[in-house]
Amino acid sequence: MRELVLLSGKGGTGKTSLAASFAHLAAEGEIPIRAVIVDADVDASNLELVLEPVLLEDRAFEGGKVVVIDRDLCTGCMECMEVCRFEALHPSPDSPDLVMVDPISCEGCAACTHICPENAMHMEQEIAGSLYHSESRYGPLFHAALHPMQDNSGKLVMAVREMARAHVSGNGYDLILVDGPPGIGCPVISAVTGSDSALIVTEPGAAGVHDLKRIVETTEHFGVPTMVCVNKADIHPEGTEEIEAYCLERGIEVVGKIPFDDAVTTAMVEGVPVTASGNGPAARAIHHLWRRLIRL
Amino acid sequence: MKIAISASSPDLKAEIDPRFGRAVCFIVVDEESQEWEAYDNPARDATGGAGVQAARFIAEKGADVAISGAFGPNAFEIMDATGMRMFVFQNSGSLKVSEVVSRYRDGELDPVTGPSGPGHHGK
Repeated sequence: MRELVLLSGKGGTGKTSLAASFAHLAAEGEIPIRAVIVDADVDASNLELVLEPVLLEDRAFEGGKVVVIDRDLCTGCMECMEVCRFEALHPSPDSPDLVMVDPISCEGCAACTHICPENAMHMEQEIAGSLYHSESRYGPLFHAALHPMQDNSGKLVMAVREMARAHVSGNGYDLILVDGPPGIGCPVISAVTGSDSALIVTEPGAAGVHDLKRIVETTEHFGVPTMVCVNKADIHPEGTEEIEAYCLERGIEVVGKIPFDDAVTTAMVEGVPVTASGNGPAARAIHHLWRRLIRL
Repeated sequence: MKIAISASSPDLKAEIDPRFGRAVCFIVVDEESQEWEAYDNPARDATGGAGVQAARFIAEKGADVAISGAFGPNAFEIMDATGMRMFVFQNSGSLKVSEVVSRYRDGELDPVTGPSGPGHHGK
């Protein structure tokens, strides 16, 4: 059983569309692969739009901690307001000599709990969203949803990955396919650590190349074997050449080049992966890429 | 000399955990006496900064050496600054903590000498 994580550095390169196509090809392609799908891009968890999941199980996700004030103990000395770096503490509108917390601004650093002379402040676990196990049209899907004002975190990515791992353990699956978060921050690192390989989806252009380099440095730091796929490769051939030259220099294999194709948009509007809606240039390139990946 | 190894459950016979900051637990082995203790990793539940918090945790447990699958740039920086030595094992699935200890003793693990990537920002 292998775990492949799709990453992009830059957002909007087609990572999730590609993940949906891979899920389709694993389930219905010429070589059957028993895969579970993980949507770890929880800030934009769009994979379910094309995978039509039916929910089997949901659990509360405990995010970070936020401060809670015991109003009976607060004397209104306001010392906490001075140490708060996030402007999360304010005089209470109903009784201005007491302090109230704005839980949206609170980052959970707990500095105020240490400074409070009355011990009136303590940290409480916050329910930040839900973790889901669903059955999608192409197999089991593990995903999550966040409450308003919550964002994806390394902890959340760890939680969805571990839920998927617990499900596949000993059940004869071949592949865990992770649609990772964009960028190079904490959620990305949490998606990369312990993965067997990473496929970076990039696109030609200054931002694409810049962010590709950053994410390559991240995956290489963690020693995860890395491959690159160039999406919309033909809209700026010089840019694609630049990506290929960079990859050659770093010893990274460019395993696929997907041409620009209106069929991708059409499929998206239909709510299906492009490989399930026709056999145009992009779908053929993704077939080719998938065959290469499963041979590796 | 005490060695901290990231592990998937609190036992010397447990499989390793290739993650450092979000490892399930750490096994701290005293090289001289061969005694060991297992600790749940409190940094695992951090929304961000897990690597740095895990580094601080094992330092508090007296570890001089840390062994894991990889160390993030931020954790590396702080551990390097405190003089903790780092080694990595290849992510070879079912490797046991006890095997890692003997590989370390036999000098078969790769030392981590410099950060190979930049730090990351944000949460």
